[in-house]
Amino acid sequence: MLMSRNARVFAWVFLVGLAMTMIIPLINVLATSFTTKAGSLQPGVIMWPETFSVEGYVTLFNRMRFWLPFTNTMIVTVIGTILHVLLCSIAGYALAEADLPGRKWIMGFILATLAVPTQAILVPLFIVFRDFGLLDKLLSLIIVDLVSAFSIILMKTYFENVPGQIVESARLDGASHARLFWDFYVPLSLPGIITIAVFEMVTKYNLFIHPLLFIRDPNKTTLQIALQSVVGGESNVSTNDFIAPNVMMAGIVVALVPLLFFFGVFQRYLISGMTLGGVKE
Amino acid sequence: MTELDLEASRYAAEPLALPTDSDRKEPLLRRAMRFWPYYLMVLPALVWFVLFLFWPTFQGFLISFQKFGLMGSRGYIGLENYQKALHDRTVVRAFFNTVTITLGITIGNTLLPMLPALALAEVTPKWARQGLQSVIYAPHLLGWVIIIGIWVNVMSPIGLVNSILIGVGLIQQPITFFSSPAWGQPLVIGLTIWKDLGFNALIYYAALMSLNTELIEAAEMDGARTFHKVRDIVLPHLVPAIRVVFLITLLGASHTFDSAFLMLNGRTAETVRTLAIFTYERGILRFDLGIASAAGVLLLMFSLTLAFAARLLPGFRKQGL
Repeated sequence: MLMSRNARVFAWVFLVGLAMTMIIPLINVLATSFTTKAGSLQPGVIMWPETFSVEGYVTLFNRMRFWLPFTNTMIVTVIGTILHVLLCSIAGYALAEADLPGRKWIMGFILATLAVPTQAILVPLFIVFRDFGLLDKLLSLIIVDLVSAFSIILMKTYFENVPGQIVESARLDGASHARLFWDFYVPLSLPGIITIAVFEMVTKYNLFIHPLLFIRDPNKTTLQIALQSVVGGESNVSTNDFIAPNVMMAGIVVALVPLLFFFGVFQRYLISGMTLGGVKE
Repeated sequence: MTELDLEASRYAAEPLALPTDSDRKEPLLRRAMRFWPYYLMVLPALVWFVLFLFWPTFQGFLISFQKFGLMGSRGYIGLENYQKALHDRTVVRAFFNTVTITLGITIGNTLLPMLPALALAEVTPKWARQGLQSVIYAPHLLGWVIIIGIWVNVMSPIGLVNSILIGVGLIQQPITFFSSPAWGQPLVIGLTIWKDLGFNALIYYAALMSLNTELIEAAEMDGARTFHKVRDIVLPHLVPAIRVVFLITLLGASHTFDSAFLMLNGRTAETVRTLAIFTYERGILRFDLGIASAAGVLLLMFSLTLAFAARLLPGFRKQGL
């Protein structure tokens, strides 16, 4: 683009260097996770397991019952995302109707929600969830981020771009909102729906502050919190053993794999939000 | 995350308005009645916002003016909680930590992502570009627990970074990165930049793609040097994108919690405790609701002030929150 040889060389060196700050730590983590307990405690940087072992993973799942928080996170992620997509897309559908009286006010209200960061209302949020009897329930984590201004506005934009002529004949035939929504709007706005679903799944999978606030019951704990207690060196299950690095790194790998797999499959949608505007040329 | 992505999406696609064919003379109430199914569809979202966002925010204000004991509220005490908070050394320290961290993240994450964006535009085989793009974007998706876990391992006293530094001869003794006060803030700032660099770079890259390459070709013909092409053609073109990135990083950084919370320990607490963390420690762990809520309100004010102040900067008028 800049038409300069030096710039090209510099670009390659810079980007590969940057990518290495992602890849090398990951190899380090992966290699350590597949080392024996004794091996992981030895001095020296492990970039390849000397004696290959899945000891860390066995400890993680058998002794520390890591499958439990994993299951909880999956429940919250799946149910939470389905409800999020449903509620945000029907709200977006309604708001896409240009004639709707008071639409500007409702949009203003939704935009105003962006002004309040969760981190500034941690205490009252805890109080309100306690008053609603939601503490120590996975339901509380499903309710968190159930709707968001981002998703509603994105869906509204997609629905507004559905060509009116396509829908008009069905509308004249007296099709109900439900029919119009499922038969026309949803299929024609599928990229938008997948985009908000994908972002919401990542958000729910990574929830940290909310389970920290709402969940005390070890049986309801989620992946990130459990991982924190493994990596932080203090176990929330009744073992007082020292947690070796191979177990810690196994925890990170287990949490990382679904995310990276997911990224591989859906990266088009995760990236499209940003690059849409650029590919006009 | 939400306001971040909203800004990005707004920047990406301008909403198109459909032509309207309604009868404007119809009385407003009658028209509104005709649209009842639409209101019913937005209602769940609005109810959620009221119950789980505005109601807690309002509650936060109320609590901040009350005295709280173990048995609940003991009545309104005016501004006493605020006075206590403002005279509390920990709150003042947390406020300045928040300011420093916000500044560091905002400056770093507005300026630095331009480099990978420019570099990506130089890489030609498409697959190589997309591969590099994916790799540098990936950390944006990782939760903070994973990120801290990875870096604590790499930067431990016997880890990779210390081994390299000792091997090269830069240091004699390993640096205890995650348990020294001096490294607290640089690490919060640095790792946040590392996490979001690829995300912001993509916003810049998208903006670069709409740059007219003929301008660069013309400059090349005139014998312009690379530095001048960047300064006189590329940078001015990036200004709207810079605005977007500046605003979303500024607002995101002002309520830093996860990253600093996970790096907080006995040694680093003084330097990495942000206002958000203070409200958690005091309000949830010690159940000292009054002063914690007051600190929360102060944080909200800080964040709103930044949002409005940013709009007063030249050229920011048209930007949304």
